[in-house]
Order: sequence, then C-alpha cells, then structure tokens
Amino acid sequence: MRLFAIYTVAGVVNGMVYAAVALALVMIWRATRIINYAQGAMGMFTTYIALVVIQHGVGYWAAFAIALAAGLVLGAVTERVLIRPVESQPPLNAVILSLGVLILLEAVAPMLFGGQTQSFPAPFSRIDIAAGSTQLYISPFDLFSIGAVLVAMLVLFVVFQRTSLGLRMRAAAFNPEISRILGIRVGRMLTIGWALAALLGALAAILAAPAIFLYSNNMDEVLVFGFTGAIIGGLESPVGAVVGALGVGLALSYVSGYVGSDLAPLGGLVMLIAVLMVRPQGLFSFRGHRQV
Amino acid sequence: MLEISDLTVAYGGVIALDRVSLSVPEGSITAVLGANGAGKTTLVRTVSGLVTPREGSVRLEGAELVGRTPEAIARLGVGHVPEGHGIISELTVDENLRLGGLWRRDRADQRVAIEEAYELFPPLLARCAMPAANLSGGERQMLSIGRALVARPVALLLDEPSLGLATALLAQIMERLSGLVAERRLSVLLIEQNARSALSVADQAVVLSLGRVALRDRADRLASDDALRHAYLGF
Repeated sequence: MRLFAIYTVAGVVNGMVYAAVALALVMIWRATRIINYAQGAMGMFTTYIALVVIQHGVGYWAAFAIALAAGLVLGAVTERVLIRPVESQPPLNAVILSLGVLILLEAVAPMLFGGQTQSFPAPFSRIDIAAGSTQLYISPFDLFSIGAVLVAMLVLFVVFQRTSLGLRMRAAAFNPEISRILGIRVGRMLTIGWALAALLGALAAILAAPAIFLYSNNMDEVLVFGFTGAIIGGLESPVGAVVGALGVGLALSYVSGYVGSDLAPLGGLVMLIAVLMVRPQGLFSFRGHRQV
Repeated sequence: MLEISDLTVAYGGVIALDRVSLSVPEGSITAVLGANGAGKTTLVRTVSGLVTPREGSVRLEGAELVGRTPEAIARLGVGHVPEGHGIISELTVDENLRLGGLWRRDRADQRVAIEEAYELFPPLLARCAMPAANLSGGERQMLSIGRALVARPVALLLDEPSLGLATALLAQIMERLSGLVAERRLSVLLIEQNARSALSVADQAVVLSLGRVALRDRADRLASDDALRHAYLGF
C-alpha cells in the first residue's frame, strides 16, 4: 500500500509534466495540423536559458519567468520564420521542418551551454512532506509542479473559452478560410498559438529538469510520453490530452515501480501501439476517423 | 458602390473569368446567374480576396480591393456569405455571430449589431448557446447572413443562398434581406443558379456563361422576356 501510494504520487507528478507537453502538441495540431517534434527541445533550450540566468546570480523566479517568456518568443519566431513559408504546402513539409528544429536545437545547445549534464535547481524542497509522523510521499516541489501546470491550464482555458482572442484563435483553427473572410488575421492567430504552446513546453521542461537533469536531449522521453498521452486523448481534445498524459504518467510509474524502471519507456510504447490498434481515433475524439 | 472592371481570373491555363465588368450601386441587388462552371463562385471569391485575379480591378467606394488580403477586404466592408453557408459548426450560434465583427473597435455597436441579427432572424436566438452543427439548413443560412451583417458591411456577397433551402423559407429570408438592402444602402451581389428566385428580388441581373458576361439587363425585364429566359436561364 505504501509503495502504491508512492508510485501513484510520482505518476501524477510526472503525468502533469507530460500533460503540459501533450496540451502544447494538441494546440499546435489543432491550429496547424502538424505535430511539433521540436516541442520538447524548445523547452530544453529555454531551460538552459534559465540556467544561465541563475548562474549569473539572478534568482529562480526571475529565471522561471524568463524561461516562459523565452518560450513565447521561440514559439512565435519558429512559426513566423519557419512554419509560415511552408503553410500552403503539404503538412509533411512543416513536420520535417519541426524535426529540423529539434535536431538544430539539440546540436546547438551543447555548443552554447556545454555538453555535460547539468543539475537544475528546484525552488522548493524535493523531500517528501511529513505531517506529524505520517509520510505523505509528496514534496513541496511536486505540489508546486502540479499547481503550476494546473494554473497554466486554467489560464489557457479562460483565454480560449472566454476571451475574444480565444474565439478568434479557435475560429482560425477550425476554419482558416472562413475566418479570413470574417476579417480575422489568421496568420497572427497561428503565431500566438505557437507562442502559447511553446510557453507550455517551457513550463514542462523547467519543471522536469530538477528530476531528469539538463542536457541537450533530456526532453526526448518526455516528448514521447506527452505525445502518447495526446494520441490516447485523440489529439483533438485538450481534456483528452491531459487525461491521457496523466494515464501515461501513472502507468509508467507503476511499470517502473513494480516491474522495473528499464521497462518504463517500453511501457509507453506498448500503450501507444495498443491505443492505435484498438481505437486509432483516440479515447476522447469526437471525429469519426483520422489518418495515422 | 461596388465596381468590378475587366476582371480576368485563370486557374493554371484555364480562364475562369474573362474581362468581367459589372457594378452594384448602393441600395440595390445585382443577381449573377449562370450554369455550373460559369464562373459565379470565382467572381465572389475574387472580390473577397480568396482568389487573385490575373488582371482587372474591384473597387469598393473607390478603394481598390485587388491585391489586398481577404481579412483586409473584410475590414473594408465586404461581407461574404460563402457557398454552403460557411458557418463554423464547432462553435456556438452566438460565437459564430460574434465572429462577424470581432475586428471592429466599436464594442458597443458590435453588441447592437448582434442583437439586430437576432431580431432579423429570431430562430437563431432560441438556439444561441447551441453548437452551430445542430442548426437546420435554413437556420445555417440565416446565421451566415446574420454573421456577415454584424460587421456592418458596405457590400454583401451572397453565394447561392438558395442551396438546399425550401422555396418558402428562401423567400422569407430574401424578403427580410431586401428590406435591409434599402435601409442600409447595401450593395448586394447575389450569386444564384436558381434564377427565378434571384430575379424576384434583384434590381439588375448579369448572366455569366463560360466566364464571360453573356447578358445584362434589369431583373424585371429579364424575368418577363420569354425568349431571353429560355435562351439563358432555361425556365
């Protein structure tokens, strides 16, 4: 029972990080119909920026804000400079470009920031809280991670569902041509969408870094697990992505706890294949079918 | 006043519109008739900027539209009700209506314009919180026209509003629309395959044939001239 509690908490904490990545992937999928394979690497890069800032004696919170802001800028620039020119071409071109961004960032990061694995600070203790004599198996940093992702999701939900900017972004994603004849600057909406998605990726990366350390491809596994969560959720549905990613986090935590940590990545792969075989449209998809 | 002059559009090597000229005065409806493939939809898509012409000009109250983006043209006052409604079915009825004028600065008037759209088409009000996917064909057409009107356009492009609508419902929608045309001094370009319905509301009519203007006349004269009707409109 004690082990189960430990694995469950770890699964939820990891799952929230995967959920942030999954949500970022879904946002870009809905807006531009491509999978941004550079989502994790962009987060790695902004986390390195945060590390440099911290090493220059600036506090964690300023570095945290700078990392998120750098995510916004990196996302906007990527869309505007790289994705926009191939917008009217088949989606595969943009997908390959995003792979190019992944390779570029992972190659450039060691040149700029050094090739060795670095530790990354956490703003709160990573030692589990004890309430009196009972261990709670959750640390203050875990609580912060869960809270930060929840706040980010809530803010995005409010922006998308309750503001006119969000309405324009949804319209642009659902039907770009109709949106244009209604006077909506669809290009600008895509830029904002990429910026917000990259902000989520930056958040995921900076929250993951204390546990997984910082090196140029530290986010590769997180991206795969986030992607698995997004696929399980149907790729269309933000709620589905979050639920799917939490499921992936829990499943991987149980597999690595009860079976062996070497098998965790394999567990993610098995889940992905199982979902694609049994229900390729995802568990939460409202659309009939999707190309895989 | 919407003035189209010598508009030529080609898809690859195929000429879709060949030096088409027509003008739509304020407060009037010009029907554009013709068979499938005559270039009717190409004409409205070129006016709203979705298709780039090879040559020619489109002017709205003197301002050249050719070369501008669709979003800029919409903001200059061109409302486009596209073929097959073009409502966004994933959004609610109210969200669709709001989209019509989200770019406008005058928020207060925007709210008034939305209320007016509900008054014009009361069935929409009862369904305002529903996804637009739940609407019937007639309601979708009302929503699409209402949404275009929310932006307070100067010119309105209607692409086959009769498609899939019962005659009585269509007549009802067109009657409300023609009231507005006079009141708001709209220039309306009405694309129709259903010539009978279009001629009953239009002031003037243009018949397109293989991308060219084959005939232009007053709508009432075209409707009453049996020989012309048989030759060009097939009824």
